[in-house]
Amino acid sequence: MQNIKRILITLLAFMMLMPSIAMADSHATVKTPASDLRATLDQLLSEHFVLATTYLMKAYDEAPDQDAVWEKLDQNAQDMTPAIASIYGDEAAQQFEDIFRGHNDYVDGFVEAAKNDDAEARQMAEAEVEEFVNEFGGFLATATEGNLPEDAAKQVLEAHEQDVVKVFDHYVNEEYQEAYQAFREGFNRMFDISKALSSAIVTQMPEKFEQTKADTPAADLRSNLNALASEHFALAVLEMQKGYDQAADYDFVTWAENEHTSDFKAAIASLYGEEGAVQFEKVWQQDHITAQSEIVTAALEEDEEARQMAEENLMMFAEDFGAFLATATEGNLPEDAAKEAVWQHEEQVLNTFDAYVDGDYTKAYDHFREGYGFMFGIGETLGDAIVKQMPDQFEQDMMPEQMPDTGMGGMSDGITTWMWAAFGVLAVVAAGALYRKQTNS
Amino acid sequence: MKRDWIWYFSVMGLIALFLILYETNVFANLTKEDTEVVRVENPQAASDATEQEEEQEEILDGEFTVINKEKNMKDEEVVKNERQAEDGIIPSRISIPAIDVDASVEEVGILDNGEMGVPEDPMKAGWFEPGTQPGNRGNSVIAGHVDSRTGPAVFYHLDQLKKGDEITVTGEDGEEKTYVVQKLESYPENQSPIEQIFGSTNEKRLNLITCTGEFIRDQGGHQDRLVVYSTLKEPVEEVEVPTNVKVSGAFVTWHAVRSDNVVGYRVYESRDDGETFEKVASISQHERKAYSESKAGEYQYYVTAVDQQGNESAPSSIAMGSYK
Repeated sequence: MQNIKRILITLLAFMMLMPSIAMADSHATVKTPASDLRATLDQLLSEHFVLATTYLMKAYDEAPDQDAVWEKLDQNAQDMTPAIASIYGDEAAQQFEDIFRGHNDYVDGFVEAAKNDDAEARQMAEAEVEEFVNEFGGFLATATEGNLPEDAAKQVLEAHEQDVVKVFDHYVNEEYQEAYQAFREGFNRMFDISKALSSAIVTQMPEKFEQTKADTPAADLRSNLNALASEHFALAVLEMQKGYDQAADYDFVTWAENEHTSDFKAAIASLYGEEGAVQFEKVWQQDHITAQSEIVTAALEEDEEARQMAEENLMMFAEDFGAFLATATEGNLPEDAAKEAVWQHEEQVLNTFDAYVDGDYTKAYDHFREGYGFMFGIGETLGDAIVKQMPDQFEQDMMPEQMPDTGMGGMSDGITTWMWAAFGVLAVVAAGALYRKQTNS
Repeated sequence: MKRDWIWYFSVMGLIALFLILYETNVFANLTKEDTEVVRVENPQAASDATEQEEEQEEILDGEFTVINKEKNMKDEEVVKNERQAEDGIIPSRISIPAIDVDASVEEVGILDNGEMGVPEDPMKAGWFEPGTQPGNRGNSVIAGHVDSRTGPAVFYHLDQLKKGDEITVTGEDGEEKTYVVQKLESYPENQSPIEQIFGSTNEKRLNLITCTGEFIRDQGGHQDRLVVYSTLKEPVEEVEVPTNVKVSGAFVTWHAVRSDNVVGYRVYESRDDGETFEKVASISQHERKAYSESKAGEYQYYVTAVDQQGNESAPSSIAMGSYK
């Protein structure tokens, strides 16, 4: 009896340990050196796109915050230097900075050309962009030792420059739907560029990245979440500014937000099915997208009470969305941490908007950069929780870098040792047998 | 001849009776029985009612908030209920087809005794020049005689007007403003609600004044004043219908109508498969064009646009969620 009880308890304890054993066994994670590199590039490159297009619009409108945006665009370029330096050393980083920071100057050429309707100035600006594409494409190909081929590099840079110019041209022509379509395309292209670039770097220096890959399913998931979260932040900030200014393109930013919502919904559907996606969409829209717009309305109507109510709605959203994420990830993302992170994000949105309303643009874009970067932390944490929840789907992460070393090389040595050994054994056995036969007789 | 006298007295008696009846206003009452004139004995009490009406209008106006686009949003305060720009005319003619009036209008001012002036010519109407120009927001006032010493004058049949009749004022440059009669009221002369007739209002009104009531020569003439209140008939512009009405998740969204005149949208919802629709929201033009309802996917929706004058567009196409 006593024994059976002891066995049962042991069994029970063992069963309870099982899940954690299974988890410890699973190496599925989004937190690998290669994935980190990709996320860093995700952030810096996409932020570059958002700030560049925002600057173009603001400069064309001669908006009071244009200088603040310019300053942040330059800061973003400077932030890339240490990232490059950590991989390719200071010298290459300096070279990078010279090329990259310089290319931001061309945007003013486009603005001036559009304002003065100056075809010649426009051509000059386009020529400068082409020069940049060639120079920078060459730099990337050389740095990655051809892992990012020069042609591919130039092609992708060219596409990016076109995206930026397309957003601007449509904006100037007051074709706002096209402008925001181009914005969304161009924004998401930055994540493709980041994938190609980080994969090339990782392939070039496998040891530096501990043999991890930048294009595993887990890294893809993290990058997708990065894109979805940061685009939401960028659009939310833009929407609230344009709404407050009652800009002509306001309704088109909200349109872009709706498009983004359905993309996000599709991503959730691929992970958690249609039902989960439907649930996501409702939580996402109510008390969140609506409430952010209500903050703007309250500011326009100077309605303190409405502001208070909208803030309460946002708090409710932090609760609801935190709970949704915790439930969806089956607790892999703890509920409290999720709620706190969501609310932190809402605060960053509010801070950015409030500083903008106050006319303190440096502060507004400081908050913008902080809030924008925060979204990549969400991509990492949420991505990791999902990967841990569904290790099977992301297990490929553990694919070895090379095929196993399953031979000692012996077969290749011509006359093989084991033949000699077998011959020796045979000789000894035969000798032994002969010897016994001889002694018996 | 006796028979003749009988005839004579009969006829004379009838005529005398007729005159007596005439003096006692029986005919006036007979012929004017079907006027819509409301005699207000105590305009003070009545003006309270009018004020209440104005307040109501404010509430209705409050359905949508209009942000003043002229001002820099950064530092200027937000103005609610912004109204349209002014475009008044200086009237030269007035025509009221319903009572065959087509008369010229001249400018009149305030007489030394404080009364509003009236043209010398009984067949002309007088526009109160210090006041509002027809077409503008406020009370424009045109007065005319009901009779002269010898017969009917320009506004003799004014009390025959009915609610809905049209009054057209033509400006010096030929521009026309048409007003629609709202109500007819008469007041004892010295108790007329001057503020209501001449004072400021958010509406675009034209008030016609003439004399009415008993004529008592030694008490200064007609005892009452008739006021016909009318409001400007704004050219009805078709309000554009909102497009791209969509239900996705908890959102009903649509594309804004690109017209400066549109102040907002009304969202109508049906919870019984489209049998009946009820208005569930009013969204101002400066707000996000979205209505949020967690069960939006189960209901049907249409949206209308509303312009500054309160004209509502035709309903949009009906949108419903993809799942039910």
